[in-house]
Amino acid sequence: MPALERELERLLGERAVLTAPDALLAWECDGFTVHKSRPRAVVLPNSTAQVQAVVRLLHAAAVPFVPRGAGTCLSGGPTAGADAVVIDLARMRQVLHVSTEDLYAVVQPGVVNLDLTTAVHHLGLHYAPDPSSQSVCTIGGNFAENSGGPHCFKYGMTVDHVLGAVIVLPDGALCRLGDPAGARLPGALDLTAVFCGSEGTFGIATEITVRLCRDQRAVRTLLGAFATMTAACRTVSDIVAAGLVPAALEILDQATIRAVEASVYRAGYPADAAAVLLVELDGPDDVVAEEAAEVRAFMQQNGGLRIEEATDAAERKRLWKGRKGAFGAMGRLNTDLYVLDGVVPRTRLEEALVGISAIGQKHGVLLTNVFHAGDGNLHPNISYDGRDAAMTARTVAAGHEILQLCVDLGGSVSGEHGIGTEKLDHVRMMYGDADLDVMARVRAAWNPDGRCNPGKVLPSRNACAEVAKWPQMIAKVLDPEGGA
Amino acid sequence: MSSIAGTHVRPRDAAAVAEVLRARLGRVRLHGSGSRQQRLEPVPGALALDLTGLATIDRLDAPDQTCSVDCGVTRAQLDDALRPHRLELPCPGDGTLGGLFASDPIGAAAPGGQSPRSLLLGMDALLADGTPFKSGARVVKSVAGFDVHKLLVGSEGRLFVATRLHLRLKPLPRARVAFANQALDREAALRLLQQLRELPHGLQSLQLLRVAGGGGGWNVRGAIAGRANFVAATLRALSLQESDAHPVLHLEAPAGGEVLAGLALPSALPRLLAGLPTDAPFLWHGGGRFETTLPVANATDRALAALASAGGHARIVAAAIGRRGLGTPIDAGHRSIADRLKHALDPHDVLC
Repeated sequence: MPALERELERLLGERAVLTAPDALLAWECDGFTVHKSRPRAVVLPNSTAQVQAVVRLLHAAAVPFVPRGAGTCLSGGPTAGADAVVIDLARMRQVLHVSTEDLYAVVQPGVVNLDLTTAVHHLGLHYAPDPSSQSVCTIGGNFAENSGGPHCFKYGMTVDHVLGAVIVLPDGALCRLGDPAGARLPGALDLTAVFCGSEGTFGIATEITVRLCRDQRAVRTLLGAFATMTAACRTVSDIVAAGLVPAALEILDQATIRAVEASVYRAGYPADAAAVLLVELDGPDDVVAEEAAEVRAFMQQNGGLRIEEATDAAERKRLWKGRKGAFGAMGRLNTDLYVLDGVVPRTRLEEALVGISAIGQKHGVLLTNVFHAGDGNLHPNISYDGRDAAMTARTVAAGHEILQLCVDLGGSVSGEHGIGTEKLDHVRMMYGDADLDVMARVRAAWNPDGRCNPGKVLPSRNACAEVAKWPQMIAKVLDPEGGA
Repeated sequence: MSSIAGTHVRPRDAAAVAEVLRARLGRVRLHGSGSRQQRLEPVPGALALDLTGLATIDRLDAPDQTCSVDCGVTRAQLDDALRPHRLELPCPGDGTLGGLFASDPIGAAAPGGQSPRSLLLGMDALLADGTPFKSGARVVKSVAGFDVHKLLVGSEGRLFVATRLHLRLKPLPRARVAFANQALDREAALRLLQQLRELPHGLQSLQLLRVAGGGGGWNVRGAIAGRANFVAATLRALSLQESDAHPVLHLEAPAGGEVLAGLALPSALPRLLAGLPTDAPFLWHGGGRFETTLPVANATDRALAALASAGGHARIVAAAIGRRGLGTPIDAGHRSIADRLKHALDPHDVLC
């Protein structure tokens, strides 16, 4: 065993260091399975002090390292190169402190998102950001990715809920950001906000202070089934134009509905509908009742084929089951699923969906759409067979064009999944060299040697270097001139 | 580098601002409407770069609830443009929008409420050498690249010049009523504050205020928003007194005195107040920021020492020259990153 690995074992104990090739298999990718790479080693620290000791050692040895939560990221953010050590934070899963008076919690990064809400449920509190993977994904991963979720239309993204953090910087020094009383200290920069979403390239958060929200007295979920996607999108526009701010506004297209209804996530959605719109309202009982009546009226006005309303927890759970299980259901359509993530102005959703459909037809790929309609955050999903090189190449090419479409419509190449390695090329659709240079300067202020999660978020000057990390066939699609 | 120390320039657009910066005229202090300049330590000889000439609302997409505005657009100008669309920028503050976001003087108005950091979607900006760059997006959700624009919030114009801001807007509530329960004793005020904080819905702003010469009485002020029947019921349930008084955003320094601004959790308020002179004016915003005025420097220093020993955070925002900006210590790691960011973005320390 090399000296470095021996030293890691000395710091953490034998059972917290994995080096055998077969033991490393589970860490060779995240949810973006196109990009796989087996790390040099995986370490499993259980405290800030252990993370600090590991990072100091790796920094001194000039070895790159990659922090990792549950590995549910969908853009390759925590995928490590063969020379890098993965610092897996799964063993740091304690809720360290809950303040019911001041409404915050201090957690370790490995705490599972839903576990935090479960832990404070009896106090009438919850943690608002709820990515689809909330039963598995970790708060640390959410902080690194600035994760969203269906309820961020009303409640905001992770950045709106993080008040502070303890960070192990890439040289092993500690840095304390924010305060339970406020994320930005008087006279100081808002480093908490800029760290959030830095995808593990600025350092490792080992304690995170998050805001807790009071549970609302009433919650109602409405389902509207429509004969056209246009009608579903217009209903969303009507709801928003009326000044309503639902907790969630989610749309599933027909292909997704059919996949869901044929799966264990069956929720009773009408399989002949072109689109299903889920609207969740929360607040005081009488307010929610009035708002539900308005939403119903908008659904009827736009020709809703079926309108359902869940007024108890069991019914609500059923209606959400299909939405939350949509990605799992689509996994049945083929061996692999490429989950895309782009944003357009909400008013251009219909236009975007028409364009996405055309791109799917052009490349002959099976496309489904499930999306956060309130935010204009699209998740086109391509079901493909990763063993079929040509199909994989068509899938990647279609994804590339879809993201270009989002940018052309005034949007973004990522609403909540991050850049990771998946979108290193796509970032250039939004930003020029000067923009990327400023971002690189900001990263260098945190991570001057570039050893903390290298090769993520920012493309190098020669984009071919990034593409080359993917399978050769994909490189050819993105660079038909063969420059890769 | 030629110097035009002390000169005031007012360019009309971002290209002209870039030209001024490229001319390398020495140190530069950014100016908006001037409403917050007195809270910054003056820099003798610095060029005053007045950004109020950049005053165009570039884009207002009412259905999408976003807009793009020049940094010199004033809060009042934007409010006027948004009113017909029944939209608003739901964070307190006045002056130019560039100044409001760069100074972030109040944070959120209510617990968990919107603050400049949550409403800033992106920006077009210039580095101190005039190089243009952009960060973020115009849509309400984007995690593409690093959020350099979030560094604007609270930067006081020392990192870069944000010339255009992309902002998220919110619908105006159907009803909104301001309230002010006045002349309460401290315990009653804190009790009411707690009752209001327990509302899971509708509290749009909240303040605890003791004014100078108010006989030591406390005011609890704020606004309830939502549907008209909900607002009325909430006012009744908590016996809140409707008020048309303008919200107090800041405290003024008394002659020879100082203003201390900081952060305080609701649970820390009794301890914080116990450590202040019994008649010291005090203002706490529901998002956690407070201000207090102290009659002499010694009193401020005692308050800062007490806060520091309790792990609190505050700094002097209004005082004689040489005292502004002094405060409780900031974590060494935080300070180090902030210094490195300043060096990375403005290596010659032009923006001051």
